Amino acid sequence: MNRLILKYASPATIAILAVFAWVTYRRIAAGGPGAIVLPAAIAVAVWLIGTFVFIYLWPRITVGGFKRIFARRGLGGGPIPVNTIYAVPDSSSQSALSGSVIATGTDDVLYVGGWLDVSAGPQILHVPGMGDRYFSVQFTDPASGGNFAYVGTRTTGTASGDFFLCKPEWAGETPPGMTRIDVPHKAALLIGRVFVANEDDRHGAYELAKRIQLTPSVR
Amino acid sequence: MSGFLAWVAGSGVVQGLIMGLTFAFLTTVLILNGVAKRETKTVNGWSAVRNAGHPGNGLLVRAALQKALPVVNVFEEAAYWTATTDSEGKRFSGEHAYRLHFAADQLPPNNAFWSLTATDTVGYMVNSPEGRPTVNNHSGLVPNADGSVDLLLQPHQPSTAAPNWLATPQGRFKLMLRAYLPGPAIIDGRYEVPPVVMVQP
Repeated sequence: MNRLILKYASPATIAILAVFAWVTYRRIAAGGPGAIVLPAAIAVAVWLIGTFVFIYLWPRITVGGFKRIFARRGLGGGPIPVNTIYAVPDSSSQSALSGSVIATGTDDVLYVGGWLDVSAGPQILHVPGMGDRYFSVQFTDPASGGNFAYVGTRTTGTASGDFFLCKPEWAGETPPGMTRIDVPHKAALLIGRVFVANEDDRHGAYELAKRIQLTPSVR
Repeated sequence: MSGFLAWVAGSGVVQGLIMGLTFAFLTTVLILNGVAKRETKTVNGWSAVRNAGHPGNGLLVRAALQKALPVVNVFEEAAYWTATTDSEGKRFSGEHAYRLHFAADQLPPNNAFWSLTATDTVGYMVNSPEGRPTVNNHSGLVPNADGSVDLLLQPHQPSTAAPNWLATPQGRFKLMLRAYLPGPAIIDGRYEVPPVVMVQP
């Protein structure tokens, strides 16, 4: 679907504008120029306000789209419930046929994905020891689309670890041995990547990717 | 009530709303594409967006970059370059063969991996029955005598240098180069990806 929209965007736009021109023409032909004053005024007002609103909401709509896809369809293994992480066993080129959202990704990593929501209480992200294997878990803010935190090789190293994910106003204690990460809008899109060298390496990478998990914090 | 509905239908209010929303959407797309273009730096035909995914982006930039590159990594995590044209500015086509020449020690510097992938114009990988659509630092690339590396981009397997061959799709295509955990030379902008040159038949 995405592919079709991107491919036929220009002709579809031209067709829609042609319909608008025809509707406007019919209106003028039937009622004179005065008949289009009100619709034109409304169109201009909606145009101006709508443009600002669309730009403001665009990141939210995009990240929200991933949330919906995860919740309804998942990444090949069925719906991914909130606060669980799913590891994709195939590479991107293998899942390309299914039209998966990560089909534009790379074969060099296995992807994991999930939707984090800490509004009902903190969650703990567990990552296994990765040795010298590259990995990352990206935290994308649902309002701005910015990546406000990373867990992984670059930021936290490749040793196993537990990360305490909570809303910024959380006043409780961080469990010993854990690193606290504040989640600004109480929710985040989590996308993880685990390096895979080649086909023979896939199994090992997948076993590690599966162990990147979320669990509720027990109080 | 029915009189009001009839007036709404007859006055063109609904048509005005629909047209306004459509224009708003099209204007948004044009503005965001324009901003994304301004945020994109192109050298030798390779385009990179350094601010993608950055939490400090303003209203316009964050929207434009979510549109261009939804939920991608920040540049320090993974540097991405895309190219759709060769060194002469002609769009890539599966009808031609291309060469990408990296001088010695000029493969993308990184602390994780690099990879080069050929995709269709939208960005989907195309599985070629003949060969892999991607090469990376684990592909066993064969360097030249002087340490430089030539990658050969064409749809059919070449008679020589098969390890350095990247299978391209039929028709128009796009290239994507990734460097995960990019090295300092990429982060500070010193590193430049060399141009893709069409091989004369």
